[in-house]
Amino acid sequence: MFGRKGNYAYAAARVKAKKAHLLGEEDYSKMLMMTPQEISRYISEAGYAKEMADLANRESGLNLLERATYANMANIFGSILLASTGDLRDMVSAYLTKWDNWNLKVILRGKSYGLDADGIREDLVPAGSLGAESLDKLISMESEEDILAAFSKMTHSAIPQEVVSAYKAKSNLAEIEDFLDRRYYEHLLDVIRPVDRPSFIFRDYVSKEIDVRNFETILKLKLDGVRGEQAMKYIIPGGKQIDAKAAAQLAATETVAEAVAEASQMGFYEDIKDAIDPQAASIRKVVSGMKRYEMMQSKKFSHLYPLSVIPVLDYMIHKENEVNNIRTVARGAESGLDREVIKGLLVI
Amino acid sequence: MIAIGAGLAVGLAGIGSGLGEKDAAAAAIGAITEDPSVFGRALIFVVLPETIVIFGLVIAIMAFFVL
Repeated sequence: MFGRKGNYAYAAARVKAKKAHLLGEEDYSKMLMMTPQEISRYISEAGYAKEMADLANRESGLNLLERATYANMANIFGSILLASTGDLRDMVSAYLTKWDNWNLKVILRGKSYGLDADGIREDLVPAGSLGAESLDKLISMESEEDILAAFSKMTHSAIPQEVVSAYKAKSNLAEIEDFLDRRYYEHLLDVIRPVDRPSFIFRDYVSKEIDVRNFETILKLKLDGVRGEQAMKYIIPGGKQIDAKAAAQLAATETVAEAVAEASQMGFYEDIKDAIDPQAASIRKVVSGMKRYEMMQSKKFSHLYPLSVIPVLDYMIHKENEVNNIRTVARGAESGLDREVIKGLLVI
Repeated sequence: MIAIGAGLAVGLAGIGSGLGEKDAAAAAIGAITEDPSVFGRALIFVVLPETIVIFGLVIAIMAFFVL
């Protein structure tokens, strides 16, 4: 009874209090009318003040805003993890592993493009098990092999030699990135034991997220002219609607429009059917539509089981979305994009 | 027998309210951590299940003096 059970009541109350402070639709409408400097001031008053002040002596302008939003998200996710115990902590920790993977990808990409340490740090989100110090250690390493070995040691999860060899042979980061994504979802599905209805819902959500990732991958590969069997090796197993058979059918289609039409029986189709533009080679709107679908899924179940992992998961999804939205608005404003275009990119 | 009945009435009501208070108190502490201004309201919700013990106590007193 008191063994590994998580402290759901405590954690859920905390995330619900935090969720009340998230930005709403009217906040984004106001931000769309602002300059990047005004957006920085606005979000400082909306809960990002500490991170903005901490980083103000090192960064300025858009860089300050971008780093502060990531730092804020990392701090909040870290505090949620610290506040969780038992199986809730296991699930939150497994969910946050994606940020360890994200950070490793950023470091490897940064190194391959010859970025300096500060340039790499800009995109890091120390929200996983690796803190800023561990990430600095990884950045300071010279070779990719050392980084991968140190990462494996720090996260207690080895990267198989064949993956490292394939990466070295082709100098293609996709080999490592693909492996990290697969392992993340496999581990996450392992950790969420389907013992009760909320865990079923969490698993279901993860499976739908895998579907979205796979569909996105298929569309992106299609734009690069990769189809059929070649595309299949990038598919993550464990999807809810896109199993191996459905993925093969989607991968075999010729164009993005055909793939979207093929997906007409799937849950996310309603959210993407209007987004597809047969004239443009861009899948940006489709990806936004799928993000909206993911958000709707989490909104559907967020009120169902107050004493479970669901409110915590729901908050983390919304917080990540808020940070992405703020960055989108700020970047759009900085580059002088039309307000309607920026609005179309937001997931609200 | 009356003494055992009275003991059970208070004891079981106490266990019940304790179980009820467990989650309420944990949630209240979580809410207060995020926003200390809700202390007063949170405290009221935490002690609400305590009223169950009063019912148990009333039954125990009635068992002793009325029956």
